[in-house]
Amino acid sequence: MMDVGWLEGLLALTVQVGVLYLLASLGEIYAERSGVLNLGLEGIMIIGAVTSFVFTNALGHGHALLAAAAFGGGMGLLLAVLTVTMKLNQIVVGLAMTIMGYGISGLMGHPSTREHVMRALNPGVPQEVVMLQRAPPLSQVPIPGLSELPLVGKALFSHNVLVYLALVLAFVMWFFLFRTSFGLAVRSVGENPSMADALGVNVFRLRYLTCAISGLFGGLAGAYLFIGYQPFWLEMMTSGRGFIALSLVILASWNPLRAILGSLLFGGVEVIQYRLQLYGVGAQTPQFVLMLPYVVAIVTLSLLSIESVRKRIGVPEALSKPYSRE
Amino acid sequence: MTCHLRISIDSRGAFAVNYGARHNWLVAIKLPALRIERRLEVPSHVSAIVTMVFLLLSFLISGSILQVLGVDAVAAISQVASVYASPELLTAAVLRGVPIGLAAVGLSIAFRAGFWNIGAEGQMYMGMFASTGVVLLHVYYGLIPGWALLPVMALAAFVAGGLYCSVAGLLKAKLGVNEVLTTLMMNFIAILFVDYLVYGPWRDPRGFGFPLTVPFPNEARFGGTLGDAAWEGLALLGAAALLVYFLLTRTTVGLDLKLIGDNPQIAGIAGVKMVRTHWVLSMLTGGLAGLAGFFLLTGIVGRLRPRISPGYGYTAIVISFLAGLHPVLAVPAAVFMGGLIVGGDVLQSTLNLPFAAVQLFQSTILIMIVVGEFVKRYRVMIR
Repeated sequence: MMDVGWLEGLLALTVQVGVLYLLASLGEIYAERSGVLNLGLEGIMIIGAVTSFVFTNALGHGHALLAAAAFGGGMGLLLAVLTVTMKLNQIVVGLAMTIMGYGISGLMGHPSTREHVMRALNPGVPQEVVMLQRAPPLSQVPIPGLSELPLVGKALFSHNVLVYLALVLAFVMWFFLFRTSFGLAVRSVGENPSMADALGVNVFRLRYLTCAISGLFGGLAGAYLFIGYQPFWLEMMTSGRGFIALSLVILASWNPLRAILGSLLFGGVEVIQYRLQLYGVGAQTPQFVLMLPYVVAIVTLSLLSIESVRKRIGVPEALSKPYSRE
Repeated sequence: MTCHLRISIDSRGAFAVNYGARHNWLVAIKLPALRIERRLEVPSHVSAIVTMVFLLLSFLISGSILQVLGVDAVAAISQVASVYASPELLTAAVLRGVPIGLAAVGLSIAFRAGFWNIGAEGQMYMGMFASTGVVLLHVYYGLIPGWALLPVMALAAFVAGGLYCSVAGLLKAKLGVNEVLTTLMMNFIAILFVDYLVYGPWRDPRGFGFPLTVPFPNEARFGGTLGDAAWEGLALLGAAALLVYFLLTRTTVGLDLKLIGDNPQIAGIAGVKMVRTHWVLSMLTGGLAGLAGFFLLTGIVGRLRPRISPGYGYTAIVISFLAGLHPVLAVPAAVFMGGLIVGGDVLQSTLNLPFAAVQLFQSTILIMIVVGEFVKRYRVMIR
């Protein structure tokens, strides 16, 4: 039972689940680094999931990914209008957007309403496709050569496109955040917005941008959840995963590279728990394993609040504080 | 001949066209300039009108979204509105409104003090856990006499919800940990904990394997003396709201809370004991959410099962904002929101719409209410 194939499968599945959290947290890291707490991530993800469901069946995968990213980015911009320009409470607006995401997605995915939407997108959709509760998943694209490697080959190099994209993007996002002047501007805006403003950084424009980025990535994460991982539509199918991504951002201490490790950890926990249940271990009490991400987040958050740790890691000082020039 | 046409807009929005270097004609077309000014005080009638206007606007927005999705918005909204006209459905609305109202009254304490408790959901589940624990002690061990069940359950639920919130409260007061994230994460822990109990040790042995506890005995249910659980609950909610109002306006605790909410630094200098006040505040806000869980079981469901609350803890946040963080106004706001939930059931049976329709209404209400607060605070001037 404990042969290499078993371990390979476990690793591959860990990456598959982890990428979901990785995609969602990458954008969120940018928003929080610039001082905006996007609590609407869960709602943005479910919108991404439902648009990818409806668009895939109506028009195909390409449109679905574009639409999910666009809708997500749009919700990010809405967040920016409400919290950056109007300076409304980020917590309330974020929660409202999560509830709104549940509402709109539940309606859009419902058999009685999705027919209208799908017919509007593509009048020629056959009725049996409209009635489908699932959609074709993204196809696996094993990278020739690399996917033949023992152990890591299956884990890292035989997935769908979004998985590779997410892993590459994590490095790109890290590079932009810590090695470019743009990243410096983002971090300074989250640390001390009035100082950054005095030095000529446009705080408002930058926060609009990071909100849009976090929305875009949230939308993609939702699309990945649906067409990349679990292509069967269920109402509220994100089931709190957006909030797990929020806790991952804390665990990763707002660093895209650490987010890769953290997402693999969270993905691994989820996968191992399913596997153990298959063998009847912990089948009675899976709840305590499922609690882990949240407990980890609270413990990390408390540790990060200790002054010396806080200085070294650099928690964004102006997180969730609106900025106004007065 | 060369001509230079320069169009300029100055910082106040005045619009000027300069033609040629020497002529410098000021073809000044003045566009109206928008200026946003901060209001110092908002008269209460203005505040009430703005809230009502934005409440109506929220229905306009959710109606348009429904229409885009191909739902007959007029039919849907009039179905929801009809709930408030039927005595039978209105009673159902009151029954639904009581638990979320109790949680909302508690949240108004926390939000006024700048403590962003997003954890009412989890605290409700802890309240359900504690009240069920008391019932099980009665049913399995006969430890608590039947007549004492309801008060003991209420007390246990209050304490459980309060203690659960205190974890976040103390972490904030002692270490400065962001309470938004801790209370949010603790929701999921509480929900999973109740799942564990109901699937595991607390499952009814005679429940055919379903994840349910034993049904509560009649002594542990509302709806005995006054005839209807809805009206008994409303009395409980009203009493809680008045008590909290008294506490906030007439006691030193209320003053401390107000000071912390206005400016925590100055409150500290003024001698407000941070840790103690946060502890009191957490016990109250979490405790009332715990009571909400208690009423969900004793007034509505009658036994513990997994995932009883479909996000009532978040609905409570919508209510407390709709009521302008006023504990007494939270009572009518809760009945209104209860009506919306009942309206959701109506929409399900008549128009075949999912519960998500209610969530759409709730979210637009919440957004428009805070936008309304923005409009109240700032006055847009057109010059």
